[in-house]
Amino acid sequence: MARFLQYLFDGVGNGSVYALLALGLVIIYRGTGHLNFAHGEMALLCTYVILQIHQWGLPVGLALPLGMVFGFGLGAVTEVALVRPIGKKSPFAVFIVTIALFTGLNWLCGAIWGSVALPTAAPGKAVSYPKLWEVGDRFVRIGGATWRYKYITLLAVVLVLAVLLWLLFSYTRLGLAMRAVASNAGSAELVGIKTSRVLMISWGLAVAIGALGGFMIAGLVNQVNLTLMLTPFLYASAAATLGGFDSPGGAVFAGLFLGVVESMVSQYQPTWVGNEMKQAVALLIILVVLLVRPSGLFGTSKVERV
Amino acid sequence: MAVQPMQIREGSPQHWVLRGLGTVLVVGGLLLVATKASDGFISDVTQALILAVAAMSLNLVLGYTGMISIGHSAFFGIGAYTSAICVSRYHWNPWLTFVAGFVVAFVIGMVVSLPALRIKGIYLALVTLSLALVFPAFIKWKRLEWFTGGTAGLQKTTFNPKMRRFEILGHDFFGNLRSVGGKTVFYYWIAVVLAVVGYVICRGIVKSRVGRSLVAIRDNETAAAVMGVPLARTRALVFGVSAGVCSLGGAWTALFLGNIRPADTGVMALEGAITFLIIMVIGGAGHLWGPIVGAFAYVMVSSSMSDWDNDSKIPGLLRPFLAWSKVPPATGVFAVALVVLMFVAPFGLVGLWNRMARRLVAIVPTPAGSAAPTVAEELPGPFEPTDTTTPEGDE
Repeated sequence: MARFLQYLFDGVGNGSVYALLALGLVIIYRGTGHLNFAHGEMALLCTYVILQIHQWGLPVGLALPLGMVFGFGLGAVTEVALVRPIGKKSPFAVFIVTIALFTGLNWLCGAIWGSVALPTAAPGKAVSYPKLWEVGDRFVRIGGATWRYKYITLLAVVLVLAVLLWLLFSYTRLGLAMRAVASNAGSAELVGIKTSRVLMISWGLAVAIGALGGFMIAGLVNQVNLTLMLTPFLYASAAATLGGFDSPGGAVFAGLFLGVVESMVSQYQPTWVGNEMKQAVALLIILVVLLVRPSGLFGTSKVERV
Repeated sequence: MAVQPMQIREGSPQHWVLRGLGTVLVVGGLLLVATKASDGFISDVTQALILAVAAMSLNLVLGYTGMISIGHSAFFGIGAYTSAICVSRYHWNPWLTFVAGFVVAFVIGMVVSLPALRIKGIYLALVTLSLALVFPAFIKWKRLEWFTGGTAGLQKTTFNPKMRRFEILGHDFFGNLRSVGGKTVFYYWIAVVLAVVGYVICRGIVKSRVGRSLVAIRDNETAAAVMGVPLARTRALVFGVSAGVCSLGGAWTALFLGNIRPADTGVMALEGAITFLIIMVIGGAGHLWGPIVGAFAYVMVSSSMSDWDNDSKIPGLLRPFLAWSKVPPATGVFAVALVVLMFVAPFGLVGLWNRMARRLVAIVPTPAGSAAPTVAEELPGPFEPTDTTTPEGDE
């Protein structure tokens, strides 16, 4: 039981980050119907930007919001300048553009900050990515298992964010407009909703949340490097698939669930799965979900008209 | 003022002259490279040919059938590892491992595509993406170390260096494995043969009835099914063939490197899959020559920029724009090129060339059973509007 709880607590930590990234994917998919392959790399760029702002001397409490604002701008500009005009031509072309952004942004991070992991160690000091609050290795003990404060705070951030988003979608004009555009863009336009602005905000919001996710995962591993977001992005897309690409609640649940599954299979089966093959578990989950229930656990299935 | 293009009937003597001219140019170019070019240039061309094989296979799946795959690096790796395992562990004749790699990749490709009847669009992209990410982990897996060599990889995965020499008129035309220069030429010719084989396979599929049904599936799947195209069978077949063609490049890589390790082969990871995609799109998706032209453009640009992380190597005119970059700018250049292409020329370089060429010369096909020339039809690429009715030559 103690082992089970331990693996559960460890898994929820990573799972929170997957949930955040998956939320961004879902918000974008609901808005424009595209899978943003560059989501992880956009978050990566924001993570570097946050570090850079912090190194310029601003406190983290200011650097993080600024980084998220940067992310909002990045997402909004991408939607307005690239996705919208190209989406009119063909959805294929949008896929190519997001792939181009994927490699391009990764290259940009390498070009600006170099390919070594940052922050580099100062003499006599441990390497540490800036955090909002330093919790160190402190933990609470529950049922014989240790639940580290850093994982608890991550989970808390995700749950608070999920509630905020739910409030946004349910009780604000903007949220209503976003839901309307997601359900039927044409009709939404007809009743006077400015679809283009809603889509722009959706992309911006998604990347801003991604920036938070990148910040959190960099805090977990205490550094930021060029491959930081690859695996989290894979898990996030698996989570979005599992939860259903049009269900934000599903994305949060599936993200946490995948984090737990990852931690359990790799630690209960250290020789068979271990750290190397746990990505294969994500692949397996994507495949099984797509075969059995292509719309995901909480998604709505699409009807195709000819 | 538009100049009326010269009309040439398909299959007419003039058309054959054009085709002959094209063939002479290609064959002559290949011979010239083998005999006259420097070793460095030959290896660049060789690399381009191998990447072209991989991009051709991707073109079959993405360009013609509209199935998004960012997992072709895994098939490339499957080819490499099949070849390496057969040669290193079971001492096969290296030539046979091309066939073995093709068969293994074909079967795995079919299996991967089986869910593709239900999975399409971005979902298939996700499945293939995870394939690309899982393959490098799989070959490092400790449980399979007895077979794949784990992180240490496999050694001696190449030809016997004492193999017979083929000489033409006393000239060692095909190269040999005794010297660096000879080795370069030797692997160059293998790459040429693979590129030709890949091209012939792709052309055979695309120009046949199957090819038509592929484009039908891409443009409107439901309509294609209604017209009697067996969706599942056609998709699985084309995905299998595509994986097989892609594996040829991988097998070549294993033989060329002589030993293979998971760490030093980026082409077998996601990076490779994206490279193939970039090449295919730059050259022209849905055009037979697209991947070939794209591969040459890709290799020439990236090899000329490979040392540009050293600022003094950047040509003076470009230095102020690129000196800030800590890594070679090739990847960034291609990313920008991809975005720009999607705006101005989604049909890629070959599509652009066709568009220009048909202003001068229009090839008019003769349909079977009728003598009257009709309006030519070139199948449009996946990123183009499908209602184009303007004539366009392919060769």
